[in-house]
Amino acid sequence: MVDHARNAAAFLQNPERARWHDRALWHVRQKRDLAVKAVPEWEALRRAAEEIKGHTLQHLGYYLERFEARAQDNSIEVFWAEDAKELQQIVGKLLQEHGASKVVKSKSMLTEECGLNPYLESLGIEVTDTDLGERIVQLAEDRPSHIVLPAIHLKKEQVAEIFARKLGTDPNESDPFRLTRAARKHLRQKFLEAEAAVTGVNFALAEEGGIVICTNEGNADLGAALPDLHIACMGLEKVIPSARELGLFTRVLARSATGQAITAYTSHFLRPKPGGRLCVVIVDNGRSHLLAGRQEKLLSCIRCGACMNTCPVYRRSGGHSYETVVPGPIGSALAAANDSDKYASLPFACTLCSSCDLVCPARIDLHRQLYQERERCIRVPKYRGKRRGLKAAALFLRYPGLRRTAMGILGSLMPKLPRSWIYYRFNLWGREHEMLRPARRSFSRLYKERKQ
Amino acid sequence: MSAREKILQRLSDRSRPPAVKPSLPDPLGRSDDLIPSFAEALKAAGGVSNLLNDPMELESALARSFPEATVVLDTRQAPTTGTEFDSRRSWDLVILEGKLGVAENGAVWVEWNEHYPRSVLTLAEHLALILPKEALVATMQEAYEVLDLSSVAYGLFLAGPSKTADIEQALVIGAHGAVTLKVFLV
Ligand code: SF4
Repeated sequence: MVDHARNAAAFLQNPERARWHDRALWHVRQKRDLAVKAVPEWEALRRAAEEIKGHTLQHLGYYLERFEARAQDNSIEVFWAEDAKELQQIVGKLLQEHGASKVVKSKSMLTEECGLNPYLESLGIEVTDTDLGERIVQLAEDRPSHIVLPAIHLKKEQVAEIFARKLGTDPNESDPFRLTRAARKHLRQKFLEAEAAVTGVNFALAEEGGIVICTNEGNADLGAALPDLHIACMGLEKVIPSARELGLFTRVLARSATGQAITAYTSHFLRPKPGGRLCVVIVDNGRSHLLAGRQEKLLSCIRCGACMNTCPVYRRSGGHSYETVVPGPIGSALAAANDSDKYASLPFACTLCSSCDLVCPARIDLHRQLYQERERCIRVPKYRGKRRGLKAAALFLRYPGLRRTAMGILGSLMPKLPRSWIYYRFNLWGREHEMLRPARRSFSRLYKERKQ
Repeated sequence: MSAREKILQRLSDRSRPPAVKPSLPDPLGRSDDLIPSFAEALKAAGGVSNLLNDPMELESALARSFPEATVVLDTRQAPTTGTEFDSRRSWDLVILEGKLGVAENGAVWVEWNEHYPRSVLTLAEHLALILPKEALVATMQEAYEVLDLSSVAYGLFLAGPSKTADIEQALVIGAHGAVTLKVFLV
């Protein structure tokens, strides 16, 4: 089971680094606030985004079939994958048939979720992540810690060290501009050599039968433009009715993500390039199971990352502490919904402050979702002790007389006990907090005395 | 059963076509002064706008803006027939025609007519976009109302040059695509 609290404690071992992480993400959140303030109808846009996503999910079967038919009209090939394994096999087969041994990939959390890179590498295919942040973590043999800013956990000196080791740059050169130029040169070569491109999908247009990819770096466009095979992988929740609705989502996505009014590239792939193939793989991998209940709303996520940037827990524990591909509030809710045994600790990595709800462009009720997941997660065997503790607490709350007596005893006893008796192993609260000191005279006693 | 059938079966109670489309809010205000807002938004996106009062100035403005560019591709002209095109070569400057500009974010819609390889767009060091002043709209919502995607194979909104902030959140212009982007409003 993932132990978020332990991972967070490890992250906080380096307080200076933790503070930097916290501030860097808060800065992104502030940029988002500025961008949002420039749009007077912002709240109406969020409500519309929520409505469109809800509407699309309500008719998801229809829109997916519509997308498939329209895409096929446009000579786009459409594949379906039940789970990660099927996605791996479809992509692997397409690449092998094409004779591709070198592949460039642009950012796709879905392929990360489905373990596509290691699978393709096992087939002897070289996969190069081309988003700068993703390339950095790939070279470092690390994992992304944020869905929009994959390398936010690394400092420039570390990037310099990684580049020096892998690309032969000067290890003392840690200027972001020069490092980026070095990566541009290195990756340009990879682009020119690539025999196929794999990308994600931000939006799939059911009516127009095409896909839309948003990047700042232009890596999806360059990657897909050169080789004759472009494979785009999408979760089935990425479909939207038409370009009309895209007009709304392109207004909220980048503003929420980085505070930009729009990404540098918003690219519409509506037909394969002349002489090339464009293949779209629609992946379920547990998504349709979420449709049954309240968790349906989790499928409205457009992966902007705003809930991470604003989350006081994420900012102070780092993306890796979640041990999931998607971290933060939405990641915790999704992970717990899919596998509450393994990820039971994640819904508790939340203060219920609901800041995420307020920034989410799709108005997902994240804190409530997390709260609800807790009810299931508390039942895992690991939390037996906690459950007992809560039951005991419930007993005292139910019987005020009992509570008063206990508090009275505790109040007179506690100041006299040695610290080691109070701050012992099972006092989880006392691990990070100083316990409150009981007042010498309780409130109810004072109240009674006052009345007399 | 195929994956397709299995997935669609699970969604069988969601396969009805919708009776109504979801509603969209009306964009507020901002319909006047499109040119200055476009210029400001483009600047924020790292691009440059150049407002020309006389369309005749265009060619000289282009030449003046990129004095060092020697390998230049002007996509306004179709390629001469018979020339083999190397899709992997780089360009100092590529000149493109924009169809539509969006004032709220400085983005310009470019439609690829496939006369040239799509890679030209990202293998250009500098991009010059020519955009008619009348082709500005206020927001993305209006942009998609105007656009007709039915015969487009590849089209994109370009907002400034390519960029990244993946190293310590420091903005660096010029990631994989163009390092500068200039829009000429005519
Ligand atoms: S849950 Fe909302 S805020 Fe979080 S990534 Fe998804 S869309 Fe963005």
